[in-house]
Amino acid sequence: MNGQSVTPSLPTGKSLKPSMFSRGARRSALGLVMVLPSFFLLLFMIVVPIFTSIQESLKGNDGNFTWDNYKYLFTDPAMSSSIKYTIHLTVVSSIMVLVIAYLLAVFLRFSTGRLAKWIERLYYIPMFIPSVIATYGMINMYGNHGWLARIMLLFTNEPFMRIIYDYKGLLLANLWFNIPFATMLLSSALSSIPNSAIEGAKDVGAGKIQIFIRIILPLSFKSMLVAATFVVMGVIGSFTAPFLIGPNAPQVLGVAMQQQFSVYFETGIASACAVFMFAICSLVGYFYIRSMMKEER
Amino acid sequence: MSWYFKSLGKRKIIEFIIFALFIFFFLGPLINLALLAFSGKWQFPAALPQSWSFTWWKFVLSQPEILKSIGLSFLIAIVVTVLSIVVCVPAAYAFARIRFPLSKWFLFSFLLTNAFPKMGLYVAIAVLFFKVGLMNTFMGVVLIHVVNTLMYMTWIPAASFKNVHKAQEEAARDAGAGPFRVFWNVTLPMSLPGIIVASIFTFLSSLDEAQGTFMVGMPDFKTMPLIMYGAVQDYPATAGAVFSILLTLPTIILLFVSRRFVSADVMSSGFTMK
Repeated sequence: MNGQSVTPSLPTGKSLKPSMFSRGARRSALGLVMVLPSFFLLLFMIVVPIFTSIQESLKGNDGNFTWDNYKYLFTDPAMSSSIKYTIHLTVVSSIMVLVIAYLLAVFLRFSTGRLAKWIERLYYIPMFIPSVIATYGMINMYGNHGWLARIMLLFTNEPFMRIIYDYKGLLLANLWFNIPFATMLLSSALSSIPNSAIEGAKDVGAGKIQIFIRIILPLSFKSMLVAATFVVMGVIGSFTAPFLIGPNAPQVLGVAMQQQFSVYFETGIASACAVFMFAICSLVGYFYIRSMMKEER
Repeated sequence: MSWYFKSLGKRKIIEFIIFALFIFFFLGPLINLALLAFSGKWQFPAALPQSWSFTWWKFVLSQPEILKSIGLSFLIAIVVTVLSIVVCVPAAYAFARIRFPLSKWFLFSFLLTNAFPKMGLYVAIAVLFFKVGLMNTFMGVVLIHVVNTLMYMTWIPAASFKNVHKAQEEAARDAGAGPFRVFWNVTLPMSLPGIIVASIFTFLSSLDEAQGTFMVGMPDFKTMPLIMYGAVQDYPATAGAVFSILLTLPTIILLFVSRRFVSADVMSSGFTMK
């Protein structure tokens, strides 16, 4: 990012022209102008809405200041069980996603087989499949009379367990949506570890576990953090899968929020719910932003 | 049989098991949809369709609601992609090549788009849109799509601009090219893969976006994914499967066309700093 300082300007006609500002000042003004449109968009679409929703969440039906919306979140039995359900689902899904994605990424990095190459080619696909379609595919695959149930019937007569419209279905959906993305981030980090570093460690007698703990883990830790951030945000704010295949009660927070807003027109409660969600995610978001800023310095 | 597995070795067997699990879990639901879409009759206990046909394709393609949604989705996706390119690519170039005050703060402000869970953000945006009258408008839907991809639409091209060697730009300049010609003939072609990947990402994510549109675009802006929300409940599974394929087709075609450019490294640069 320090190109400006070394450009040797030839004495062409242009740069000899007297001007009110120096060339550097004009260039930096140009930079600002190029960045501002997207920054304003960001301001209008992220920063302002967040403040609006904080403001809205503290307003009662009569327009006066009140904590009632937040009280409702934690005292209403349906709402508070939804919150617990969502947090539980988020923690379990995120841990499973990260563990599986890490194992898969390590496998892809160090395997040379033909099948591993095929996985490498195919694992992008779920990232690009519309979430509605994937969810629909899961309904047809894991539903009561779904494909899996039919195939199982060829081997056993036991009734098929309930997956769709249940916790298990949401967990499967979260794994399906998030593992490829996490694997992609981790693969990219692992591929930047040079083979020579690993071979060098082997030469001085390090075992597989030692290589993993001393070299691979530290070098991929930061990407792990990024992956964790995106997975947690993705799962906690998920809507499509829970809307289509989640249980009716308790609901996932994203669905509960949408219903409060669009069905019951309870803007205050929906906003309080959103603010609460931002609050529990702000810690994760903070670590993500901080680690990114450190990197750039 | 066992001698065969022994001759393969443990490593090969593990690889095969991982591959089989991968195909079953990630591609199983999609393969199932593909089978469904071309089946005429597939009743419960049968493990494979009993007859094949195209009847459901005719049914789906004769629904005016569906045809309208396809047109609308593509219109929105094109507008969103063009708008994103116009807004984000200059910003990306500025981040990569120009020094200006607070540039780092501007760059990191884009992280905010990912620092909050999507559905929470959409509710917050809907509350604002309600106040300023953007609810249920074309502009509102476009804005919500643009903000989704704002970060990687800026970061991926910024990373590719940075990867262009300064020496090459300077060589062109020494040969007498003006700054605009240098950008057009040297910088842009070399960073094009990143811009293409980001644009395709944006186009596809706009085409597939459902939650935000559901919050701010109902009831007038029924894009393909929103029709699909209804189809899941109302249509027979075969018709839903046909529509699923229609909705996934652009994704598959675009990915196939751009497969040279799409790599874990390029895509990761949209989410992390390197």
